[in-house]
Amino acid sequence: MTAPRMTLAPLLFAPLAFFAAFFLAPMAVVALASLTTDEGGLTFAHYARILLDQYHWDVLWVTFRIALATTALCLLIGFPLAWYLVRIVRWRSWRRACVILIVVPLFTSNIVRSFGWMVLLGRTGLVNQGLMGMGLTERPIRFLGTETGILIGMVYILMPFVVLSVGNALAKIDTALEDASADLGVGPARTFWFVTLPLCLPGAVSGAIMVFALAVSAYVTPALLSGGQITVFSMLIFQQYSSVFDFHYGGALSVTLLVLTLVLVTLAGRIGERGRRAA
Amino acid sequence: MARLSGLVTASALALAAAIAPASAQEALHVAWYGGNWGDAFKACVADPFTKATGVAVVPEVGTSTVTLAKLQQQKDAPTIDVAWMDGGVSELAEAAGVLAPITEKGVPNLKDALPQAVYSNASGTYAVGTGYYSLGLTYNTKEIPQAPTSWNDLWKPEYADAVTIPSPANSSGVPFLFFLHKIWNAPAGDFAPVFAKIKELKPALFFDSSGAASNAFQSSEAIIGAHFNVGAFDLAAKGLPIGFTVPKEGVWATDARLHLVKNAPRAEMAQKFIDTALTPAASQCLAEKLFLGPSVKGVSVSPETAAKLPWGAKGSVENLYLLNWTEVNAKRAELVDTWNREIARK
Repeated sequence: MTAPRMTLAPLLFAPLAFFAAFFLAPMAVVALASLTTDEGGLTFAHYARILLDQYHWDVLWVTFRIALATTALCLLIGFPLAWYLVRIVRWRSWRRACVILIVVPLFTSNIVRSFGWMVLLGRTGLVNQGLMGMGLTERPIRFLGTETGILIGMVYILMPFVVLSVGNALAKIDTALEDASADLGVGPARTFWFVTLPLCLPGAVSGAIMVFALAVSAYVTPALLSGGQITVFSMLIFQQYSSVFDFHYGGALSVTLLVLTLVLVTLAGRIGERGRRAA
Repeated sequence: MARLSGLVTASALALAAAIAPASAQEALHVAWYGGNWGDAFKACVADPFTKATGVAVVPEVGTSTVTLAKLQQQKDAPTIDVAWMDGGVSELAEAAGVLAPITEKGVPNLKDALPQAVYSNASGTYAVGTGYYSLGLTYNTKEIPQAPTSWNDLWKPEYADAVTIPSPANSSGVPFLFFLHKIWNAPAGDFAPVFAKIKELKPALFFDSSGAASNAFQSSEAIIGAHFNVGAFDLAAKGLPIGFTVPKEGVWATDARLHLVKNAPRAEMAQKFIDTALTPAASQCLAEKLFLGPSVKGVSVSPETAAKLPWGAKGSVENLYLLNWTEVNAKRAELVDTWNREIARK
């Protein structure tokens, strides 16, 4: 028993050291800064300043509202896409091509893709040209600087996470279960609702958690597509670090967002857990 | 608490150092910005320096604030010798105690720098400018054939929804508020009139990054607004219909400055590097490549470049509105907060 443990230790050291150096240490620096004054004394004033001010709650609400809407839309669009890839596509090379199409954008930087949306959604962009060309609107619709614009960009960037995790869950389902349900005289809709959906719920929940966590903390996409006219929480954090240089208040903002996100993600995880047990 | 945070940082740095590949022993480490700025610093200063001394230069790429953060983290054992940082951050670095004085003994060319570009306090010269850039009135020459003459033109109804000015996340955002405060003769210390007027502005966007501003002008999302001379002429050079003008109220400007790091491991070479940056050849090269207004006396540039300098075709450093950064830094947090509450929400 000792021999494998001996070989395990050096194998574990590298990832643990990596985790400590690049995750725990920076986190500790941020958390410490949020609890100290310039002189190094302990204080909760930075948290009081955030939590006792309605303004910060307003911004949090905007942030979580956009993140929730992003998650819902990603699920709504991503689920059928995953279904199509796993259940409908029969030709293997076409399925592979589809997966590549979904994954490739992840290799491009968020900044480039958000800039792309700025051009597409602009006053004279392709989307407005198309809408006006089809006579759907007379004046260009304003997307940039609105929550709709931010949503479009976020859903586009985060949807692959849902497609991949739901697709994975769908592919693992034993279709014999669905056949059994059909044999017992249940229609396709009820089979989907009571058999298939609960079985891929864990995949959907993990995809949704990824999307939600990434959406809450997203900076580049909302910063570019909001045109500076809508503020999300990550933008407040960035301002403190980039232009005000108040690392204490900035640190407290970061920890606040982190804790609230963790709470929500834990709640969502519970739902996924319940889904799994029910299945 | 401070000791604990120091310990955490130190162990993180030690680990990072252990993981990072060992670089050449004697090379000089210079912090500068990314993109075309870094390319120009390399071509105009680092390459001539290496040619003259045989010492290689290792760039530490980052924005001014990232560089300052690095200098603060490695205060006890710096690895960076020389650092480029912008006006504003430069003062913060001096206050943080991470800079060593630049002297004429170590940097003989210091005497050739413009007096405005030599930044000194009681303990000596802590920074020297290597070139000015400004935030001027930028416009789409196809939509607006006649060059606008005043900053107040941004409020004209025909430009509604097609205007851009910097947000406070951009390094020019807070200084621009000071600039507007000055040109509108607002009462000292009272920014309420400035915010009231900005609230009436109908923007396409408030830009966070210079890249976002360039993008907006390029896609015609913005047809008029504030942009850096460096970015605006970069667009024009690509054949886009973009003009840059210094309106009658003038422009706000700042500079990219060089700093000698306190306890720099290669201090002698570091001073030689700064000396190289203050030669007329380097200054002229930066003007040609980045349209930086030379901060060295007696530099002449080609007429095409002269028109692109931060003070316009006929101006000089006297036409620039250079800020008292200590004043700006003192009001920074308050102005950002007011902006967030008044402007950046619907």
